[in-house]
Amino acid sequence: MKRFFQSLQAKYMVLILVALFLFQAAYLLVAMLAMGFEEDISGEKSKNDSDPNQIEEKWHADAEELESASKETIRNHFSEWKKKYPNASMFWVDGKGTLMEQLDVKGNLPANWTPAFTAKFIKERYGGDPFTVISFIGGDEKNGFIVLEIPRDLFLPPMVQVTEKYGILLGAGLFLIISLFIIVSFLFFRGIRKRLLHLQEAMERRDIDNLPIKIDVQKIDEIGQLEQKFNEMILELKESKQREQEEEQLRRELIANLSHDLRTPLTKINAQTYSIAKENLSPEGKQAIKALETSIVNIDRLIENLMSYTLLMASKHRQELIELDVVRFVRESMASWYPAFEKEGFEVIIELEPFEEKWQADPMWMGRIFDNILQNVLRHAKDGLYLEVATESTDEYDAIVFIDHGKGLKNRSVEKGAGIGLSIVDMMVRGMKLEWGIESGEEGTMIKILRIH
Amino acid sequence: MARILYIEDESDIGSWLKNDLTERGYEVIWLESGEGMENYLSDADIAILDVMLPGLDGFSLGKRIKKAKNDMPVLMLSARTAVEDKLEGLSFADDYLTKPFQPDELAARIEVLLRRFQKKDQVLEFHHLQVHTKDLRIIDREADGEIQLTGKQYQLFQYFIRHLNQILTKEQLYEGVWGEQYIEGDKTLMVHIRYLREKLEKNPSRPEIIETIRGIGYRVKI
Repeated sequence: MKRFFQSLQAKYMVLILVALFLFQAAYLLVAMLAMGFEEDISGEKSKNDSDPNQIEEKWHADAEELESASKETIRNHFSEWKKKYPNASMFWVDGKGTLMEQLDVKGNLPANWTPAFTAKFIKERYGGDPFTVISFIGGDEKNGFIVLEIPRDLFLPPMVQVTEKYGILLGAGLFLIISLFIIVSFLFFRGIRKRLLHLQEAMERRDIDNLPIKIDVQKIDEIGQLEQKFNEMILELKESKQREQEEEQLRRELIANLSHDLRTPLTKINAQTYSIAKENLSPEGKQAIKALETSIVNIDRLIENLMSYTLLMASKHRQELIELDVVRFVRESMASWYPAFEKEGFEVIIELEPFEEKWQADPMWMGRIFDNILQNVLRHAKDGLYLEVATESTDEYDAIVFIDHGKGLKNRSVEKGAGIGLSIVDMMVRGMKLEWGIESGEEGTMIKILRIH
Repeated sequence: MARILYIEDESDIGSWLKNDLTERGYEVIWLESGEGMENYLSDADIAILDVMLPGLDGFSLGKRIKKAKNDMPVLMLSARTAVEDKLEGLSFADDYLTKPFQPDELAARIEVLLRRFQKKDQVLEFHHLQVHTKDLRIIDREADGEIQLTGKQYQLFQYFIRHLNQILTKEQLYEGVWGEQYIEGDKTLMVHIRYLREKLEKNPSRPEIIETIRGIGYRVKI
């Protein structure tokens, strides 16, 4: 139940109900306020005092009770009524038709009342305004008659009186209350809108792990629940991401450990081979040592490639693309590879011209690609003793070109294992949204790594 | 004679490398774990650490060494070849060599590190020149006089000596010596190389000491 009252639905319903009753309530409220004023001004007043029939009867009864028609008694009588009805006016005409006494009468009354005038007066006042009561004093026409005049608006219902008296005040009050209602509804919807926009904004914000950031939930209404659900979703995402990372870490660890465990005995073989090589050996022995050394290097390379290949196949190889000045990168790679080719007696031609644009690439991956290509050249294209690394720029692409003069891919030298190296090149090049091409023949091999504009 | 602190748990590899390095003229202190390592730190000039060790691993040991003795070169020698491992190693160590390795390469790297940390005053011979690495005194044996270099020339030559036998691209040289981003087409470096050659080379138009590697950069080689 508490939840229901905290909901936006409940708030909205309250708002609508308030709107429905507000106008009546406002009218009533303003009227009551105004009545309060009225009563303050005119003092206590019983219901009977404002009923014309009652007044008429009372006036008749009072007139009948008046015994003598002396000036004194009439004056007293008038002043008593005047106390009760301050707006009333009264006069007395005696049996001879002479105007004897008057109190607060508006307009001029004739001093002598002829029967014709009296008849005209009665006819005029009948049902008219002011309300007029005519009574004979002591019930005897010889004593003359007394007349009471009360303005008709005294008998109007209080609402009408108030409307007439305080019309502007009432209108202003109503206007004020309706404005208040409009302001409250505006604020209500603006509040909702603001929170929705805030929610949208929060959903767009990203943490360092590229997941959305939790929202601070302040109210438990529908939007608050939405925010809570959103936070729960983030938590689930975070957990799943963490699980994935843990698995990735485990896999990486496993492969790294496996590779380490393979390399350790290989290092021992390497050490023993090195020790034997220092002995006095026959030419056959020296040949065998050379073959052993080559095999060790090859196995080392294979373990490395297998490791990368496994990670790449599972898309677990870490990739971080940056704006890479690839020509500079090639130059630095060549600086480290140059001595190896120099030692083997290669002719190395390097023609690098800067590209206009940088490449989006991972330097580790780029290094790996170059290493694999150059490793292949060093091992499989020894016959050509030629390596050319150049840049090529056309309207369609920028490219890095590797040319060797070996016997080509089909006539691979006795050393195998180039396949996995090029598979890694293929996966890494495509993984960085670059392209590559290979042309191989009897005369040599050309590999191009391309970035299409 | 340089003293090497070598930590390796594989006894086959450890004893073999100890012998090899001893034959090469180094004094080798070989430990099978990091236990008691602190006792040898003050004597050693360079540390060679395996990564997978019983107890504390090589990375932790290396960091401890660097903390205790910042000017001691540390070389990681490991069968762990993953990029992540290399990056972690190189975050504090000065070099990272993977197993299996050639002892010649290891020895060359040790020499580079010792030179870089100026652990010993080596006298290098380049054709007609004799260079004392510690204070970078250059003696022309033929003219029997010392060659004086200006500030930038001195820094440039020092950079070459620190990266002996390494091919340096013009970007690396410029950024290493001037400490600013190299801008394609800048001739400053070439001008300074020319001045340096005029002072060092017998025949500056056919340089022997500062070699030009076409398309890549320059190299000073023993």
